[in-house]
Amino acid sequence: MISLIFRLIGRGIRDLGLHPWANIFTLVAVTMVSLLAALFMFTLHNVNQELLKTRGQVQMQIFWQSGTAAEAYNRQWDKLSKLDGLKEIRTFTPDDALKHLSEALNGEDDFAWMKEQNNPLQPTALLAFSVKAGVENDRWATDLLSRLKELPYVDKVHYNPLQIDLAKGWIGLTRSVIWPIIGFLGLVVALVVGNTIRLSLMTRKDEIEILYLVGAKQWFIRLPLLTGGALLGLTGSSIALGTLYGAQIFFEDVLNFPPLFIKLTFLPPDQCIALLGAVTLIGMFSSFVAVRG
Amino acid sequence: MIHLNRLSYSFGSNWALKDISLHVEKGEFIFLTGHSGAGKTTLMRLLYGALPVKRGQATVAGYELHKLKRKQIPDLRRELGVVFQDFKILPNRSVYENVALALTVRSMAKSTIDKRVRAIIRALGLENKTYIKCHKLSGGEQQRVAIARSMVVNPKLILADEPTGNLDFELSMHLMDVFKQFHTHGTTIIMATHSREILRTVPDAKVIHLDGGKICEPPEHILSEMAS
Repeated sequence: MISLIFRLIGRGIRDLGLHPWANIFTLVAVTMVSLLAALFMFTLHNVNQELLKTRGQVQMQIFWQSGTAAEAYNRQWDKLSKLDGLKEIRTFTPDDALKHLSEALNGEDDFAWMKEQNNPLQPTALLAFSVKAGVENDRWATDLLSRLKELPYVDKVHYNPLQIDLAKGWIGLTRSVIWPIIGFLGLVVALVVGNTIRLSLMTRKDEIEILYLVGAKQWFIRLPLLTGGALLGLTGSSIALGTLYGAQIFFEDVLNFPPLFIKLTFLPPDQCIALLGAVTLIGMFSSFVAVRG
Repeated sequence: MIHLNRLSYSFGSNWALKDISLHVEKGEFIFLTGHSGAGKTTLMRLLYGALPVKRGQATVAGYELHKLKRKQIPDLRRELGVVFQDFKILPNRSVYENVALALTVRSMAKSTIDKRVRAIIRALGLENKTYIKCHKLSGGEQQRVAIARSMVVNPKLILADEPTGNLDFELSMHLMDVFKQFHTHGTTIIMATHSREILRTVPDAKVIHLDGGKICEPPEHILSEMAS
């Protein structure tokens, strides 16, 4: 029985060669629709990344006590840079802070008189965290805040709770916009790919009729066709993703210039797998429906 | 082999068959005659389960068609051989593949399939065309492939719907010889035709004449053809 199943799957793959032109055109159509879908997902992904980068973050500023030894706060900066969810850390020694102050005043005063033991500014670190979807952000922020405050030599920690609300609001908005769009896109891909594969099976209408005539059971007829449909879907979506990946590498830095600084990134693995799986399943399902008709 | 009791079939409001009652014994050769639209093909299609029996009762090769479920149709068809006027073979597959198809769907061992396919191909004089794609064959050869495919499973019953309709006289006679050979081995054959020459080839066959979807007495000219 198992060997028969493998034989039928093998026949499904071999049978694609029986109508080469019909299958090539189907594959091209499936690839193009998958490419359009992947391109759309790619655009959404990059836009979302950019927006979350600027609006989906919470910043906390830590001030160490004046006169804390450089070794002590340097060690803590190392530890802080490994915190979960940390997107960026900017650190300032008292001298750095003085330099930035001087720059902010257009260099009118270099504050040299403040250096050498007289610098009143504190060592600081500015930490930017990305707000994770699904996490209770208020609690997460207060927990983090109390942990940071308990660090040795820490004087105070500043953060703006409004940022959490803003980030949460933004994430909620993107989720409520992106999922319906992806759903609509999935429907369009399903209809186009499904009908294309269904139409391509019309070339095998006679064969299916003859198989029924000689007493073939449903599964005997369907298994090779489902295999063929799945293979067309998988190959088409793989080619589409491969093409998109090539294009992404080529155009990676096309928007990476001032003031945009947008580096185009490829779709994350879960989205790639979702696209491959969806188009493969659509291929199988449309073959199933075609035989049923 | 076949028992029909008040079998009727309609396409919408048009009755294609009305109250057909018929009994066919094992090993009989039946000619189904009648004008175009008389109901010959509808009757054939009912017999091999292509149309559902909704009114009346029909039993074919032990299967009660009026009670037959969809999933049982393949089992019924495995008992039958069906031959059509338009051959219904796969043009882009070889003679061997077409004939083997009927056995492959029965999940038979490769060696058994090979033995039986080669034997039937030889019996029908197609051995030098074994691996030739069917679209390269003549009409007569294609019909022989269709007959080989239906006979390779040793069917209890062969349903042939105008099998010589697309062939010239000489080829038709040759194919009738093939059918007669199988008949002499005990296969029941029901053949739809309106060719007088074909009727003459099996003088001891029973004739069932359809007219307007009903079984009627065969016209005089048919009986005289058979007698001559």
